[in-house]
Amino acid sequence: MKRRALWSTALIAPLALYGCGSAAGPESSGGGGEGGTLVVWDWKSGDETAKSYIEAAKADFAAKHPDVEVEFVAQPFDQYYNLLGTAIQSGEGPDVMLFNGGGQLRDRTDALLPLEEFLAEDMERLAGWEAFSADGHVYAAPVTLQGHPIYYNKALYAEAGLDPEAPAATWEAFLADCEQLTEVTGADCFALGNKEGIGIQFFLSGLGSGVLTPAEYDAWIAGDRDWVSPNVKRIFELWAETEQAGLNNDGVNSTAMFNDEFAIFDAGDAAHVIGLMSDVGHWKDFSEFLGAENVGVMPAPVVTAGAEPSLPYDGGIGYGVAEWTEDPALAADLVRSLSSATALEAFYADAGAIAADTTIDASSSGPATAEIVDMLPTGKPALHVALSAETLELMGRLSQQLLSGSVTVDDALAQLAESDA
Amino acid sequence: MPPLATPVRTPVRPGTPTPRRRVRSGRGAAGRSRAERLAPYVLVAPAALIIGVFRLYPLALGVNFSFTGDGDRNGQAVGLDNYAALFEDPLFLASMRNVGLLVLLLPVAVLIPGLLATFIYLRVPGHRVYRSVYFFPAVLSPVIIGAIFNLLLAFDGPANALLGTVGLGPVDWLGDPDIAMFAVVGVHIWATFGMALVVFLAGFATLDASLIDAARVDGASLPRVVRHVIVPGLSRTIQFVVVTTMIGMLTSMFGLLYVMTGGGPEGSTYLPEYYIWFQQGQMGRPALASAASTVLFGVMLVVGLGQIAVLRRAGRED
Repeated sequence: MKRRALWSTALIAPLALYGCGSAAGPESSGGGGEGGTLVVWDWKSGDETAKSYIEAAKADFAAKHPDVEVEFVAQPFDQYYNLLGTAIQSGEGPDVMLFNGGGQLRDRTDALLPLEEFLAEDMERLAGWEAFSADGHVYAAPVTLQGHPIYYNKALYAEAGLDPEAPAATWEAFLADCEQLTEVTGADCFALGNKEGIGIQFFLSGLGSGVLTPAEYDAWIAGDRDWVSPNVKRIFELWAETEQAGLNNDGVNSTAMFNDEFAIFDAGDAAHVIGLMSDVGHWKDFSEFLGAENVGVMPAPVVTAGAEPSLPYDGGIGYGVAEWTEDPALAADLVRSLSSATALEAFYADAGAIAADTTIDASSSGPATAEIVDMLPTGKPALHVALSAETLELMGRLSQQLLSGSVTVDDALAQLAESDA
Repeated sequence: MPPLATPVRTPVRPGTPTPRRRVRSGRGAAGRSRAERLAPYVLVAPAALIIGVFRLYPLALGVNFSFTGDGDRNGQAVGLDNYAALFEDPLFLASMRNVGLLVLLLPVAVLIPGLLATFIYLRVPGHRVYRSVYFFPAVLSPVIIGAIFNLLLAFDGPANALLGTVGLGPVDWLGDPDIAMFAVVGVHIWATFGMALVVFLAGFATLDASLIDAARVDGASLPRVVRHVIVPGLSRTIQFVVVTTMIGMLTSMFGLLYVMTGGGPEGSTYLPEYYIWFQQGQMGRPALASAASTVLFGVMLVVGLGQIAVLRRAGRED
């Protein structure tokens, strides 16, 4: 009996501690960064394709500060923000760290140093600052741009008797082209994988500029999102309609986006895919399979009158400086080296990324790259990047339900509006 | 898999005096007896400390964190808010429903290795080959198994091609929310039944063959032999397999889920474990994850106590 009492005490004791401390650890900062060494955290420097980029950036920095040592620590990407969060809270973080643009950076601006005074000279040369800015401050310098162009297979267009250089500009024409493509070549209209629920994000951003009016688009990015407006509803209707009309490959909800969806496009089994600009699932990957001359990029077809299609893109990745670093100017200099023209040119050439530097000549990589670079000046931030992680997760789940028909568009939008409120 | 714990009792004859060597020293009897009294505690201390520091303290911390907030409310006491949020979250509810589904599927998971072991025991042709072949998947990691079945069960994969040849329509094994969970559990059973099979075979080794021979001489059919001779003779083994299979299903499906479905489609293949990882690692809500862990701990406690009860009863029957 006594032992049982002891055990229940041991089990209940935790309750006495009820609600003290915090699950995410105490918020603290300070420390870190020894003199003479700068520590950089990222998930890129270990890649073979990024080697020349890191070398170029190191050389650039060494020319300015020969006595300062730079140590790159490559972390696994799937654990990166967990590790970074822990490091930030323990105050033992690196001096310079890599970020994805958007929410991941904005959630951590407390731990970052505003860099606008150090980076003033680079403002003109580089694009994609928006994704690394918050509350009027710039927290990181963009290295690559990430966006969602619509790629199409020019060889299939030619085989189907369509003009490969003149893809459809309106949705009706696009549907007619798709019908012809499928009839003649047997290829599906879209390669789509929504197993992880990411397919809808690419669809929303890739086609959104052809549906929303410019005013609606800008309001959405600014945070004023009307989920039940007719045009937003139209995007989600298109998502369901394209599936019902058989425009997608089979088994969308069990097809993984990374690898499987892009493999369908690589194999020429689908005529279009909404892909990426940098890293993977992009012009360089597709060119390897289809030949650079067969990879085309088209603007979003116009669905509603008044829409002005634009390339959706944001700053992809960029380096920021920790707030606790000992010598902010020194760390900012390293950030400048990491986004210097020579370094970014190496990154663009070897890793197949659209670099943030607009002065790099991209015309040698085939027509797709040239078209993407041409569209950059009129491009706008991607629609899905403006959403919170929670809303994106819900949207992924609802998009699968829309495909299987277990939820209506109205119902899905009501849930999204509530989540985004 | 934890080894079957059968308490071994050494018979102690009452009345036999334990020989104790008394060492005379300068110290008084009081000091000696205190040392003797303290000795067991000192000896137990390392084990108790390890349990306390590495098991109970983290457990207490986790439970404690489940009453704090996430994000802006980091570190503040929020009462039962996390638990309220949990039980309003369709994902968490789906994961609890899936736990119920696993309990319902448990008999299948036990029946398969049981039947196959019976066939091997009854020496069906080729039983030696089957005995080793059945165990093969048990040595593969869930990630590899998941990757293999991702390919097999793909919409345009071999499984559907096979169905197509016999005129059945393609099935979206991992993309249909009504089927995906069964597909994953099926793969889990395929991957782990080898271990249960070995336990069953060990149980058969203790079975009295003369009983089966006698039943056969009396003209009993195979189903009757199974029902009236084999099952009663194996009751302890069956109980053990039931308990370990249940625990295996509840705690070691993360790898398969991660590789095969990622919780989808439509959130239909979430299990509490996967939900905890998702909230903590992907959504940055460690306090909510702590609350979900506490609920899972409660479920496992019930299952664990059930296990102890079953094993104790089995031990008594011996």
